[in-house]
Amino acid sequence: MTNAKKSEVLQGTLDLMILKTLHALGPQHGFGIARRIEQVSRDVLQLNEGTVYTSLLRLLQQGWIAAEWGTSDNNRKAKFYSITARGEKQLAVETENWERISGVVGRVLRLEGER
Amino acid sequence: MDNRRISQLRAITARVLGLFRSRKRDREFDEEMQAHLQLLVDRFVAQGMSQEDAAAAARRQFGNTTLLQEDRRELRTLVSVEDLGRDLRYALRSLGRSRAFAAVAIATLGLGIGASTAIFSVIDNVLLEPFPYKDPGRMVFLQIHDTARGQEGGRQGYTSNELLEFAEQNHVFDGVIAASDDLVLYKQGEGVELLYGAHVTPGTFEFFGMPALYGRVLQAPDYQPGAAPVFVMRHKTWMERFNGDPGVLNKTFVLNGTARTLIGIMPPRFGWYEADVLIPETPIRGAATGYAGLPARWFLLGRLKPGVSKAQAAADATVIANHLAKINPQDYPAHFRVFVKRLGDTVVGRFESTLYTILAAVGLLLLIGCGNVANLMLARATSREKEFALRAVLGAGRTRLVRLLLVESLVLAIGGAALGVLIAWGGLKLIVAAMPQNLIPAESVIELNAPVLVFTLVVAVLTALIFGLAPALRAARRELNDPLRDSGKGVIGGFRTGRMRDTVVVMEVAVSLTLLIGAGLLMRSFVALREVHLGLQADHIFETQLPLPEDRYKTAAQVRGFFQPLLARVKAIPGVVDATESSALPPYGGMDSKMEISGKSHEEEWHTLLQNISEGYFRVLRIPFKMGRAFSEAEINDARRVAVVNETFVSTFLRGEDPMGRRIKLAGLETLADPVREPWFEIVGVVADVTNQGLQAPVEPEVWVPYTVTGSGAQVLLVRSQQTPTALVNDVRQAVWATDAGVALAFPSALEDRISQLLYAGPRFAFLLMTIFGCLGLILVTVGVYSVLAYATARKTHEIGIRMALGAQRTDVLRLVIRTGLRLVSAGAAIGLIMSLLLGRVIEAELWRGLKPYDPATLAGTTLLLVGTGALACWIPARRAARVDPMVALRYE
Repeated sequence: MTNAKKSEVLQGTLDLMILKTLHALGPQHGFGIARRIEQVSRDVLQLNEGTVYTSLLRLLQQGWIAAEWGTSDNNRKAKFYSITARGEKQLAVETENWERISGVVGRVLRLEGER
Repeated sequence: MDNRRISQLRAITARVLGLFRSRKRDREFDEEMQAHLQLLVDRFVAQGMSQEDAAAAARRQFGNTTLLQEDRRELRTLVSVEDLGRDLRYALRSLGRSRAFAAVAIATLGLGIGASTAIFSVIDNVLLEPFPYKDPGRMVFLQIHDTARGQEGGRQGYTSNELLEFAEQNHVFDGVIAASDDLVLYKQGEGVELLYGAHVTPGTFEFFGMPALYGRVLQAPDYQPGAAPVFVMRHKTWMERFNGDPGVLNKTFVLNGTARTLIGIMPPRFGWYEADVLIPETPIRGAATGYAGLPARWFLLGRLKPGVSKAQAAADATVIANHLAKINPQDYPAHFRVFVKRLGDTVVGRFESTLYTILAAVGLLLLIGCGNVANLMLARATSREKEFALRAVLGAGRTRLVRLLLVESLVLAIGGAALGVLIAWGGLKLIVAAMPQNLIPAESVIELNAPVLVFTLVVAVLTALIFGLAPALRAARRELNDPLRDSGKGVIGGFRTGRMRDTVVVMEVAVSLTLLIGAGLLMRSFVALREVHLGLQADHIFETQLPLPEDRYKTAAQVRGFFQPLLARVKAIPGVVDATESSALPPYGGMDSKMEISGKSHEEEWHTLLQNISEGYFRVLRIPFKMGRAFSEAEINDARRVAVVNETFVSTFLRGEDPMGRRIKLAGLETLADPVREPWFEIVGVVADVTNQGLQAPVEPEVWVPYTVTGSGAQVLLVRSQQTPTALVNDVRQAVWATDAGVALAFPSALEDRISQLLYAGPRFAFLLMTIFGCLGLILVTVGVYSVLAYATARKTHEIGIRMALGAQRTDVLRLVIRTGLRLVSAGAAIGLIMSLLLGRVIEAELWRGLKPYDPATLAGTTLLLVGTGALACWIPARRAARVDPMVALRYE
């Protein structure tokens, strides 16, 4: 349960990070995406790498990314994900949202006596 | 926006496809994840870990694969069982926190479902499918309508000649049967009991297509001359008189002096002619007399050939009727039309429009209920926008939020449905108990109608779902932080979604006013009906019919030989004030007779009601004389040719003339089994008008003559008593049996009770139900107006604080809030008034004559009531708003 909760907390933002990664680096497979996020976030973010795949599936369903079978650097068969045009649009919107939210969330979490 | 909707659509499609493709996709994903894990292990090994440590570390970093698979499955499929359980728990908890909301929503839904199901079940069983017979929709009967008379209806009893003409000459019926009624006396133990019998023509049972429950039905050989006398009994009679004892089958009973064998008992739903016993009779041409020496009359029923319309049947029957009118002009009005009526019209008649009015009312109630639920859901969801936004920000998926609301709505809907089923079940019992039994077909069995229940359930549940979801979808679509930003303090913030709620409230008010006006009109109508002046004092009157055995009572002398000693005996009973013979029971006059007045010539035929009485009649009923006097005892004993007429008779035929001493000829008396030759009578008195056509119809001209002039005619005993009239029944029975042990009391009752049952029951039923629905509507509207205003006011607390800080007085605030509410209420009231006027026609048939559907007093009264209640609903939130402390309101954030 704790794992699930953790991943749920990350869900919204993980989607955003994956979109951003694919936007920045071009088509990647799941392992590559996990490495990139690990590299960027360093120790701040505890990421269960498996959740990346849940996120990928969600993004696939929304049509924001596309998947294609290809060959990885070490000649293994792997699925490569790339951001779609709609995904790019969504990334722009979500990025802007995130910038606004990050400020607001802090304020909301400090709220007291609302009820 | 569009982009988002397409995304949503794609996600849903992916899920639906996922239902089919999931296995392959799962395998692919598993492979992908295994590869990922392997890469992690390789990496850790490369960093110098042992194979085992590396595998453990990789699993740690990757996370729980089983959980991930579940997450994925959740994404793929539409619902998962565990989540549903979680959502259900959450929904119950959240509804438990707002119990008032849940209670109102469930009660509203339950009322709507229950009331409409119960009423529609009644309508289906009474109006739509009351008859269990073969092709009941094609069964019709004929009415000879006198076009000179304003009212509907007409003669529907036919002589044997007429019956045979119609049966043989028509081209539109598959079959024609007929029944004539007969009061059947049979010996039971020491005394005599009475059954309501019907003589039925050959083919009757083939016509209805219903086999007997026990034994057999009447068949062709039973009608042959010389066949053994037999009869068939109705199920209800068998149960009530013989406790359902199968031993009575094939027993012999002496019915009206003839020994007849009971050969069959019909199933419970067979109710033709409402007859206790059915006796075979073949109609034969020629003059025949029926019950009490009156001319025999057959009620005929034909089955239309397939594809033949009522209009075609009427045209065909008119040809035959015109022919008959030439042969027997005295039986037909100068100008008449033949009406073709369906079997259901025999009983239901006016009650049909009552039921449909009530159905309309219930429909409106359901509409208000759904409106209320919609509004409550909208208000609640809107007030939770912030909560949803917070959840979304914290990572709850949109689908997750929608599903949460969906489950909450479902919980409400199911609660409402359960309550609705209970209300439908209980309400149906109440309605059946309150329903006037004489106004519905004997064949109809009223039970809960399953398809209707399902229909209303679906409507109500859909309402809850749609209005629960609409805001949820909107909330889910919104930019996440918008609601967080306007968090209840905005001056305009709360109004963006207000229009939908306002519309619903306006509609609710309009519909409710329509309902209230309907209820108000029916109430006024009912009160008017109760205040009708009968023209006689109906209290403390005991009444009974006394069908005399025809073999021993044929002549006037024989009948007088029974009544003279009987009246003396009854008057001697302690507590009896007075007693009289009569041939009719109020509020109906006697038989219809053609009439002429000596010295008056006229073009058209003159008709009058004609009643035979003894000398105590006007005293017993306390009918006042306007002129002249009542009959003396001597005049009754000697069967003098004297008559008393009513005021309407004088104003119709002798306007401006002195009626006293005028001679009138009552031709109807010539056609009786014991005819009166040269029936000229002298008017000796004029009495005030007494209702003689039922309560609603205007008074007809009427003539009273001594009962001793003929031995024919129905015999009724009316007794004025000092005590409760029904307490007399045993004493009167003793008196009757002391006079003739072979005579039975038929339908003994108190006059007042019968009048109220017969005439008030229908209107009272309509008025009662409409009032209940009107009140429910009013309550629902009050809740609706209150919830919307309370919500809007709560959202404007901040604004109100600012206004007050800037110097607004409490009264200003009060006025502001009340004005907002009353604007909605008056808009609704205006629409409601227009609706009521448009719908007025529907209810007009239900109303007391003289009362118009736009009765100003009712319109004004109900509108005031509604606006007043609406104002009250505004008052509470308004006061709360006025009490706002500006400092608190401004800090409130």
